[in-house]
Formats: sequence, C-alpha cells, structure tokens
Amino acid sequence: MKLKFWIALLAAKLSVPALKLTRHKGTNFPGELALKLCPDFLKYVAKPAHIIAVTGTNGKTTVANMTCDILEKAGRRVLHNRYGSNINSGIATSLISGVSLFNRARYDLAVLEVDERSSKRIYPYVKPDYLVITNLFRDSIMRNAHPQYIADFLTAAIPAETKLILNGDDLIASSVAPDNPRVYFGIERMDTDLTACINLINDVRVCPRCAGKLTWDYVRYHHIGRAHCEHCGFRSPAYDYAASAVDLEAMTMTVADGAGRGAYKLLSNSLFNVYNMVTEIALLRELGFSHADIARLMDGVRIAESRYLEERAGSVKVVMQMAKEKNALACSRAFDYVSQQPGEKELFLMMNCLGDVKHWSENVCWLYDCDFEFLAREGITHIVATGARSLDYRLRLLLAGVPDEMIDCVRDEFEAVDKLRFAPGSSVYLFYGTDSLTLAFKVRDKVLQKAKEVAQ
Amino acid sequence: MKIEVLYPEVANLYGDLQNARYLARSCGAEIVNTSLGEEPLFASGDPALVYLGCTTERGQSLIRDALEPYGDLLKKRAEFGLPVLATGNAQEIFGEYIEDPDGSIEKMLGWFPVHAEREMDRRYNSLYWGKLEGMDIFGFKSQFGHSAGDNGAGLFRTERGAGLNPNVKAEGLRLGNFMATYVLGPLVILNPPFAKYLLRLMGVAEPALAFEEAAMDVYERRRAEFTDPNTGFIY
Repeated sequence: MKLKFWIALLAAKLSVPALKLTRHKGTNFPGELALKLCPDFLKYVAKPAHIIAVTGTNGKTTVANMTCDILEKAGRRVLHNRYGSNINSGIATSLISGVSLFNRARYDLAVLEVDERSSKRIYPYVKPDYLVITNLFRDSIMRNAHPQYIADFLTAAIPAETKLILNGDDLIASSVAPDNPRVYFGIERMDTDLTACINLINDVRVCPRCAGKLTWDYVRYHHIGRAHCEHCGFRSPAYDYAASAVDLEAMTMTVADGAGRGAYKLLSNSLFNVYNMVTEIALLRELGFSHADIARLMDGVRIAESRYLEERAGSVKVVMQMAKEKNALACSRAFDYVSQQPGEKELFLMMNCLGDVKHWSENVCWLYDCDFEFLAREGITHIVATGARSLDYRLRLLLAGVPDEMIDCVRDEFEAVDKLRFAPGSSVYLFYGTDSLTLAFKVRDKVLQKAKEVAQ
Repeated sequence: MKIEVLYPEVANLYGDLQNARYLARSCGAEIVNTSLGEEPLFASGDPALVYLGCTTERGQSLIRDALEPYGDLLKKRAEFGLPVLATGNAQEIFGEYIEDPDGSIEKMLGWFPVHAEREMDRRYNSLYWGKLEGMDIFGFKSQFGHSAGDNGAGLFRTERGAGLNPNVKAEGLRLGNFMATYVLGPLVILNPPFAKYLLRLMGVAEPALAFEEAAMDVYERRRAEFTDPNTGFIY
C-alpha cells in the first residue's frame, strides 16, 4: 500500500480531534485532506464488508437516514455519512471514521448517501452490494443538465456486480445500468392517477427504445407512472415490490412481493414520502427482513424535520416546507402538496439561491419548468414573494394565473413578513431551499412572533 | 395567427416552451405542436413563427432526422421572412456537425459553417448580455461545450459572456428571419423588447405584451444585475 495513503490516513485521523477542539464537528475536512494528500485514498481505505448506497434526485437523504435509523433499531452498527456530505470527500470522511489507525474496518455495514454526479469518483473504489435509485428527475440545470444525462452517467459508473433497487414507476431510473442485477419497486394504480401528465416537466414523452409515441397506462406526476409503446412493444418493468391500497387518509398501505405481503402504516401523507417508504421496504426485504419486522421497525421513524415542520401560533398554523432552490420538480411537488391541503393558505416564497445573490445572478430557467400553476388553486389566498428574485416570482405567478392583488412583492425577507395577514384558522407556508435554510428558520421565528401578536 | 412549436415531446428543457406560450398569449395566437414524424405546419400552412427549444443529446439526433426532409424548405421560408427561433442546443442542429469527446461526428443540417464540440464532463454555465439592433438582451447559458466556425455577425453582439464560443463576440446564428442562440430558457419572457421585436416580425403592428409592466420590472432588475461589473458571469 502506498506511503501516501498512510500519511493521508494519519493526517486525516489527527485532524478529527483538532476539529472537535475548534468546534468544527461534522465537516468534510478529514476526507478533503485525505483526498488531497492521496487522490486515490478511497481505493486503499478499508471498507465495511457490506455497503448499501442510496442515490437519486429526490428522497435519497430521507431513504438513507431511514435505512440507518431502522438498521440501528434492529441492532446493527451502521457507518453512515448523514452528518457529512454525499460527495467523495464526505464518503472519505465517513470511511475514515470507520477505520482504525491501522486501517482496519470497524464496521460491518455502511449506508451511504451518494450524490449522482459524484458517482465516477466513488464507485470505482467503493463498490456497493446494493444501490438504491429513488428516482431521476430534472434537477439543477447547471449541474445535472437533464435526467437522461444523469442516467447515462450512473450507467457508466456503477460496478457490474452491484444489485440495483430501482423505481419501476420511473422509466429513466429503471433504465440505468441495464446489465446489472436488479429489482423494481412501485405503487400500483391509485384513484388519483391520470392518463396524461399535467405537469410542465415530463421527461419521458417518447418511447425510450424507438422514440415512438408513448401511451401512459397511468401517470402520477411528471414521468412517474406506467407506460407502454404501441409501436415496439416496450413497457414499464414489472414490480418485484408492489405497493397497493395506498390510503392517504387512513394512512395505510400494503406491499406485496413474491414471498408475501405486509400491511404498513404511512409515515407521511405526501405521496413522495410514500415512495420513500416503498423504496425502504424493498431494500429491507432484499436484506432479508420480514414484512412484520419492517412494519415494527418503521413504526416511530420520523421524516427529517428540516424538510417539513409545523407549529401553531394561536389559531394559525405555520409550516416550513422545503422546496429546494433552482429545482423545478421539488418545488412543483411541494406546490402540489400544499395547494391540496385543506383550509385557507398564505404562502411565503423564499427559495432564492443566496449563494448566487452574492456572486452572480440566479439562473431562473427553473421557474418556467415549475408548476406555479398549482398556486392558482382555490384555498391559496395570498402569496408573498421575497428575495432577489421576488419580481421574477411575481411575473411567473401572474403567468400562472394568480391575480396580481393576491401577490405582495418585498425584497427583504424580514420586511416581507409584515405583509402576511394571519387570518384566523389559516395556515402560513414558508417555502425555502437548502441554501436559504438558516435564513428560513430566522424568518420563521419572526412569522411565529407576528402570528402570536395578531392572535392576541 | 399560429405559432408552430416543433417537437415539444423532445425539445422541452429548461422552460423553453414558455417562450412560445408567452408570445401566443401576447398576441392571441394559437399554438400548434408538431410531433416527430408529422408533417410540419410550415411545410403546407402559414405559421406566424416557428419555435424549437432546448433538447437532450438524443433529442438533437431525433430532431435532425425529423427535420431533414423539410430542412431546405424551412431555410428558404426563413430567408423569405418566416420568423424561426431556436434556443439552447437546438442551435447546434443547424450547424454542420456535432463532435463528441471521443472524436465521433454526427452530421447535422449544415445550414451554417459551424460545428459543435461537446464536452460531456464539463458544463459551461454563464449569464449572458448581448445586443440586438440596440436592444439589450439578458439571459442564461448552460451547455456541454461550444461551437466553432464562422457565424458571421450571429444573432446577438456579445457585451458580456460567450458568443458562439468564449473567443467570439458574435452569438448565435442568423439567416433572414431564422434566429438561433445558445441562450436558453425563458429568453423571450425575460426580454420584453425582444418579445416585441418577434411579434413585429410575426406581423403584429403594435405589440403589447402579457403582463408587460411586471415583465419590464423583471427586465430592469436583471439589467441592473447583469450590467454591474461586480456581478460574476461564469458560474
């Protein structure tokens, strides 16, 4: 083994107590340092005997965290990167924490959330036994271009022996690495399914095989659903793990596979999170857990609070709803979900990319891919648009059919709070992204304070 | 009045399709979508404008195949006044060829002596500020590589950002009323003067835009940001 590796491992290990002393816990510094000193550090660092990787556009953090929580609840010691990043330096940091100074692996199992674009730097060295792909959607135009590009990127990077756990309702994700062993999960037809896509984004409009017209048996949102091609006979893959009887009111569903079926209590009433659960169940079944054990272990598992958090101030409900900046699809899903919640709603849009505000000007193409049209639905009574892109939001809302008198546009996020009306019994939803997370919680404090003042 | 949108089932990335919808909304035109394998409206009918948006790499090949039988006709019609707008990498379909990183070459329609050089591992992202007949044009670029060759005066004259490539000031392609640009996304919506310019080419004598005041507010804020020398242009 290379001397460079041992120097890198030692330096990275020594950096950990130094970071703790200087209160820099949770950074990727050890991994960054190791990769700087030894660029192929990931090749030499000892890995746990079993590795599960989770990737995909949306839901990978939720699924990876859920997997860790459940496996730990089941008594397994799990190495993970939930407090670090999902790029190569974050993976290196986790692996460093999982080995001794003599490069002995101290864990038998790792659950790693992996950024799709980092695949080429990770999978040649860290070869997962299982790779979960939650879905592949349009994401950041600047980084990810389009989902087929990401699918091709993954196909080129995934080791041949890795077993894939794929979303069978996603014709892009399910097409990745076609020669790898695989299983598919999905949700059978639901009452709310359509036969034509109503979203602006639908990245599977022609047959992936012959480019002929694709017929949707049903479509749930965007390109999620099941389809076939009359021309060449292509069709969506059959499920190995099929959810059915999904009841968002009773909060129940059933998941069936070749060896049996299980009844499950839903952890969230958002369909996106139902998919995350089905993904998790498919993975755990592959790992050998029974349906009964999975249902028991899932009970009490929580979805990360930074993504959805509600609090009451008098009769007003204040909800933090993550919508991810520069991600049309994540915002569309959040808009769809919120617009269908009961009661009167005020919305506060602050998904601005704060990094771009400082250095450039945010690329706003995503606004025109995003279904702002959902915000013109009944029940939404007032929208406050804030931040550097507040005027862009206003124009987009007008084009989506939201009347101008329902829109207030204030650049400063804190001043914008004064525009909220807090009607008794209503809900205020704050839409924010990862970039504006810290600011969003500060704004929420002011919103709660104002709501309490109004209630008195 | 009709606006023909070519191959929206594959040419629909980055909000590009909203350009055609905005123009249609601003002049009451009807949108006519032409799918792969169908005869385009411009081949036998009389659209006021033909629009082609950004697509995937596979989409470029499919569009080239679909458009090839009608390419000469479209070129002739654009030379004689039919406004045609292609945005983002749709521009590359009208060059001679696209070269992949492995050196393989895919022939395109060859209207212009330019070719695209794809760099699939390097995405070029930037803001763009250019000029067209005295109008300021503000927008965004996000692409795998650039084009090389002679694009003459192009469509826009670059003030900041890359032209056909970072070494060239002329941005895009122009032939009669055929206009192509690497600028992508809601180019028309973000540039009210350009939207009106297109509407005039379409035969609208006194164009008024949908939500014009709101669109102008957005345009002026963007002008302030893009013309600020402290604003970075390349991401």
